[in-house]
Amino acid sequence: MKFSLKHTILLAGLAFAMPSCSFFEVEDTIDPNNPALESILTNASRIQINQMGIGIQSSFRNGQSNLVRVTGSIGREIYNLASTELTWTTELLGTTNGGFSATTLFNGYYSDFSQTRRRAEYFKLAAENSAPSALTDAEKQGIRGFSNTVSAYTMLCMLNMQYKNGIRIKYTDLYSPGDMLKPGPFVSYEDGLKEIRRLLDEGATQLAAGGTAFGFTMTSGYAGFNTPANFRKFNRALAARTAMYQQDWTGLLSTLGESFFDLNGALTTGPNFTYSTTSGDITNPQFQQLNTTASPVVAQALFISQAEVGDTRVTKKVTKRTSARALNGIIGEYDVSMYPLSTNPISIIRNEELILMYAEAMIQTGKLTDAVTALNKVRTGAGLKELATAKPAILNDKNALIDELLNQRRYSLFYEGHRWFDMRRYGRLAQLPNDQPNHKVYDQLIRPFAEIQWDAKNPQ
Amino acid sequence: MKQIYSLLLVWIVVSGLGKAWAQDRTLSGKITSSSDGTPLPGVNVVAKGSSKGSVSDVNGNYSLLAPAGTKTLVFSYIGFLTQEAPVSASSNAINVTMTEASQSLDEVIVSGLATSVKRSNAANAVTRISSDELVGKTRPVTLDAAMSGKIVGANIVQNSGAPGGGISVKLRGISSINGSSEPLYVIDGVFVNNSQFATGAGSGSFSGAGANQDQAPNRISDINPADIESMEILKGPSAAAIYGTRANAGVIIITTKKGKAGKTKVSFGQDVGFSSATKLLGYEGFSLDPIGPEGQTKFDYVFGNGTVGSGSKTEIDLWQKATAEGKLYDYEKYIYGNTGKITNTRLSISGGNDKTKFYMAAGLNDETGIQKGTGFQRKSIRLNVDHKLAKWVDFSIGSSYMQTGAQRSFSGNDNRGVSIGYTLAYTPNYAQLMPVNGVYPLSRYTGDSPVAIAERTINDELTNRFIQSFTSNIYFLQKPNSTLKLALQGGLDYVNTEAEVYFPEDLQSQLTRATPGASRYSKNRSFNTNLQAFLIYNWQLLGGKLDLTSQVGTVRLSTDNDFSWIQGDGLLPKQKNPNTGSVRTFSETWQTWQDVGLIAQQEANYQDKIIGTLGIRFDKSSLNGDNAKWYGFPRASLAVNLTKFGFWSYDPISQFKLRGAFGRTGGVPAYGNLFTSLGTTIIDGQLGSVTPTSVGNPTIEPETAQEVEWGVDLGLFKNRVSLEATYYDKKIFNLLNPYTLSSGTGVTQFNAYPVGDLQNRGVELGLNVTPVEMSNFTWTSSVQYWFNRSKITRLEIPNTTVGSGFSIYGRNQLRLGESPTRWYGSPNVPDAQGVAQATRYEDAQPKYQVSFSNQFKIFQSFDFGFLLHTSQGNHNSNLTTKQKDTGGTTKDWSQVDNLYGNVGLPNGRARLPANPNVTAREFIQDASYVRLREVSLYYTVPRTILGKAFANVVSNIRIGTSAQNLLTFTKYEGYDPEASNFGNQSVGASVDNAAFPNSKRIFFHIAVDF
Repeated sequence: MKFSLKHTILLAGLAFAMPSCSFFEVEDTIDPNNPALESILTNASRIQINQMGIGIQSSFRNGQSNLVRVTGSIGREIYNLASTELTWTTELLGTTNGGFSATTLFNGYYSDFSQTRRRAEYFKLAAENSAPSALTDAEKQGIRGFSNTVSAYTMLCMLNMQYKNGIRIKYTDLYSPGDMLKPGPFVSYEDGLKEIRRLLDEGATQLAAGGTAFGFTMTSGYAGFNTPANFRKFNRALAARTAMYQQDWTGLLSTLGESFFDLNGALTTGPNFTYSTTSGDITNPQFQQLNTTASPVVAQALFISQAEVGDTRVTKKVTKRTSARALNGIIGEYDVSMYPLSTNPISIIRNEELILMYAEAMIQTGKLTDAVTALNKVRTGAGLKELATAKPAILNDKNALIDELLNQRRYSLFYEGHRWFDMRRYGRLAQLPNDQPNHKVYDQLIRPFAEIQWDAKNPQ
Repeated sequence: MKQIYSLLLVWIVVSGLGKAWAQDRTLSGKITSSSDGTPLPGVNVVAKGSSKGSVSDVNGNYSLLAPAGTKTLVFSYIGFLTQEAPVSASSNAINVTMTEASQSLDEVIVSGLATSVKRSNAANAVTRISSDELVGKTRPVTLDAAMSGKIVGANIVQNSGAPGGGISVKLRGISSINGSSEPLYVIDGVFVNNSQFATGAGSGSFSGAGANQDQAPNRISDINPADIESMEILKGPSAAAIYGTRANAGVIIITTKKGKAGKTKVSFGQDVGFSSATKLLGYEGFSLDPIGPEGQTKFDYVFGNGTVGSGSKTEIDLWQKATAEGKLYDYEKYIYGNTGKITNTRLSISGGNDKTKFYMAAGLNDETGIQKGTGFQRKSIRLNVDHKLAKWVDFSIGSSYMQTGAQRSFSGNDNRGVSIGYTLAYTPNYAQLMPVNGVYPLSRYTGDSPVAIAERTINDELTNRFIQSFTSNIYFLQKPNSTLKLALQGGLDYVNTEAEVYFPEDLQSQLTRATPGASRYSKNRSFNTNLQAFLIYNWQLLGGKLDLTSQVGTVRLSTDNDFSWIQGDGLLPKQKNPNTGSVRTFSETWQTWQDVGLIAQQEANYQDKIIGTLGIRFDKSSLNGDNAKWYGFPRASLAVNLTKFGFWSYDPISQFKLRGAFGRTGGVPAYGNLFTSLGTTIIDGQLGSVTPTSVGNPTIEPETAQEVEWGVDLGLFKNRVSLEATYYDKKIFNLLNPYTLSSGTGVTQFNAYPVGDLQNRGVELGLNVTPVEMSNFTWTSSVQYWFNRSKITRLEIPNTTVGSGFSIYGRNQLRLGESPTRWYGSPNVPDAQGVAQATRYEDAQPKYQVSFSNQFKIFQSFDFGFLLHTSQGNHNSNLTTKQKDTGGTTKDWSQVDNLYGNVGLPNGRARLPANPNVTAREFIQDASYVRLREVSLYYTVPRTILGKAFANVVSNIRIGTSAQNLLTFTKYEGYDPEASNFGNQSVGASVDNAAFPNSKRIFFHIAVDF
């Protein structure tokens, strides 16, 4: 072979020299798959703002299904007979030694709601620092009001789950770096409610200055609530709900007055979470086919047996199974069937609840006749006779009317995350049924593991 | 400029080439192997006391120009004992026979990226596994399975018994929390991919790709173990430092078989085998016998609320009907009780001359699993060519193509309502699930019928893979006392895995979905390249007493990944193509990164008495926050052979080596840890963007590990007894882990954050003995004992659960002073500060492991061997019994043992976590075991018979039988003590949740050489 050493050395030299520019270099790293967060923090365009607004409306739905399932189980409305996750029928019903486990999976709502809350903060921030002329001043106010309303809703959900554990109300200063390492302390349930009210009131003021339209697209679930002025009515309804938990009956009535409360209006009026089977969207998380054996959500037996005869809400909300499903000593004979289709919307808050809140405030302030009028609206809506006919004895009995109110709330707001809190508000948790002798009704969820450990490591 | 200098240097050095030396006396002879008398080509022959040497040719003949006065010739050859032969004054002919050695002190082990060192001079305990040890006895299907019990210091666990592997290998404890602790595999210089690609199989109708519960095989299963000549395991940073930022978890260096000069050798091998489950759990039927304290029947508990008479009447009727008709089934046996069939075929052709050598091999592996429809196939072809272009330049090329298929069905934790283990746990023996006229009845008991899942779903993957290696040595200087060479190496690894998961639209669990029928087709393509160039200068000082090797070099690695999938939901009837779905989703992910390293190393050997190494490597990577920053990884080692010194006169001790080594390595952050990116979401048909719930760390740096290793190697009675004892202390600094933030902030974590330090300390002892060595009977035996202890020595973040797991049944946590693989579970107990903390349980890591290997050679023709392996004190979080208790199928369900203070309650109820006394103690179970990993018996037909029968056409026939995992002794309650529901992760791995049962395998072998 005619192959000289000189050739080789030349070749080797070339081999080294050729890629030498790139051989010792590595590429700069940018995420090839997603846009960077920084792209919206300053000089966001109107398109980016619009997408963030849509993003919040989408993630606003997160946490909802965990919340209603957990409150539904603890409030003994439903059971999730999941054979693939037995803690739904053991730990959650109070059987486990020592209560909730430190890392319980039932705190999933906590991070979901916190995330939405933070996203709302980012939305506000992006709007403040948006590109010149991307948004009008009124539109910026609209976004502030929208974000504060969303934040307040998520905080109320978290606070009711955590109850006496409280929540962190100040958790961030987005303008200073490292803020995530400085969350504020937990405040009491009462202080938490106070902050939520304040935030809602601030939001209401901002929405009032929000002009005629939002600076981003409102999705179809907010039909009728898609302008700053209309959205403010939703804000006020949430304020009324908060006032109810504060037992601030005057506050409840005054906020209700600014909401979409309508004693004679359709019970169903209100904003909704919407779902679809579109790729990338989510389907109704509470939708289930009937008679499944995997993880059926079934109604607690007393929901059916204790219902007044002819209550159409029962037939609308539950359906008898072709065969009962038993798991861990719980027998489920009725499937929850509130959402026949996976694309059915879920109500966030509706006139039916507002009427019941009105009734409660009336009972509590001694205006029993007005309360009865309101309760009758709900009763007749459910195919029941008016109280004067059905239960004449209780018309002037405040305590009996409270029983009636809680019962109407039980059937009207079944499996929507209210029953447990209602019974707790009135100190009646002991009245909730236990299907097994070792079951126990919790007062509240355990504080999330990450929060406990955070505070243990970073004492305030 | 750099290049010009190196060229200049090369020129200067080259100009000194070509001097001839004086000739004194020509010695010659023939070298043969003692085992079969075949000539040995390529043996090094050196005249002792000089640097004069030669190499034997194709026919084993050598001739050497020895200086006058040469007394002894030294013959050395890889894999054989070095031999000395006296030179007689009268004859110039010296013939030698050389003996093979399995664990020879003279074998060469790697000491750098381009250099090696004799084992007797090594400063690290490097485990070397020969081809015979690896697969010469029995035939584990994958490479990593073949390593089980053979590596002192390793913890090797099979994730699931499903065909095709899925094995996690941890060397000297875990070396990362967030990342996997799998070692780096290097095959003939090519950095190969050992990923587990996401298929979507692990979550509900495939929605969550990238999940760690997909239980996919790891890609080292593509490598055909039969192609491997040897494996060297660099267990810790002190040995692996030269591999820099890829070597935190150790490095496994694999060398494939090469051709030898001489007659072309054709080898053919065929194995036929059978596999069956090592253990089935069994079940209990139902009855109306009163078993509860108030006379409750099993129906009252399982299909009622636990009060007398509450048991479902429908169920009782179904049970009575099935019993009357004799239609009771053992579904577990039906599904897992089958016999798998295994066939392996190998053909290799090798040979060549002194210029060109080749090795060509083809392999076919095909096995069916113990569950119908499951299986594993591998087709592989390899060609290795070595060519000597000139006296001063050689090159080698290795090409291999592999196609691997695995069908694994669905098992393990159930996020999709279809895990067979889960559904079996809830299926009573009177259930009627057998197909009638091709229609599978729906199950009343759980989300789906195990029979339909086993027979109607698809979870397959097919991998096509090319691995190509190239090496070349160019000698610029070949003088008796010094050589200078440029060692070039390049390689590429192209792997493309296509995975298909499919649930038909009329499958029970699909019927309940809004869009029934789901099919996901994934394509995971990964392309890795490596290039390296080293300049190696070997020289001598002090008149040849001090041998020095200097090297400088550079390495570049690059990875380019493309992961994509398309999924169809709401499929047209009987259609598998995702394109026929009414809802179609798809995903595309790109990843690319590069590493560059610079290396310098100096080795010094003073007369084999004192051997030292100093080296440093600098690495930078695009995965680091600062991609221009170089990180340094130094190493130093020293070995002292006391017996080589003049003062050593105690003959029984033939080797006494003291050794110490220090080294650092790194672990690059995972791809994407730098980024904080917006996500996308859809509502109302409109695209929205959402801010992330976890944030990147733009200043991230690599994890670094630092190890000090001390050891003593003793050889007694001419090394018939050898003892290797090692202690190591490995510290991993700046462990990268997600930093769990206060969840109330709405940001769950920093994706990667230097959270603390981890320490692994351990002892490794290896004793090799040849108790009997007679002409008709040889017995070699080896015992290995090792343990590792892990401890978090610094923790910057709050106590955090790490890895995966199921809360009340045990999770791993990061806690100061504790092992990161320790289990914590219920009950919660308030600590000194009043914070409720989970109770501390045992460690998932074994307390110690022992392996005991024995080989017997009887009458030169029979070889018998076995390998016993035990792991003691390792604990799993096992949920299998709980599932079966809930479903009423545990074998002792109705027995009343008054468990957990529940007097009178049947075991199946008393054990449930619903009972206040039942804590995580019930689930965190001792998974110690003793396992007969391998046992084999071979007969080699004597050459005399062969010569007569086949007229020397056939040179060797070997027949035998062997078994893998034949016997297992354990108290563990699950299918198998080796289980990892969450794949190859460092922590939270040892969770057993309805795993696929492990299997034992029995083989018959025949091998013929022509």
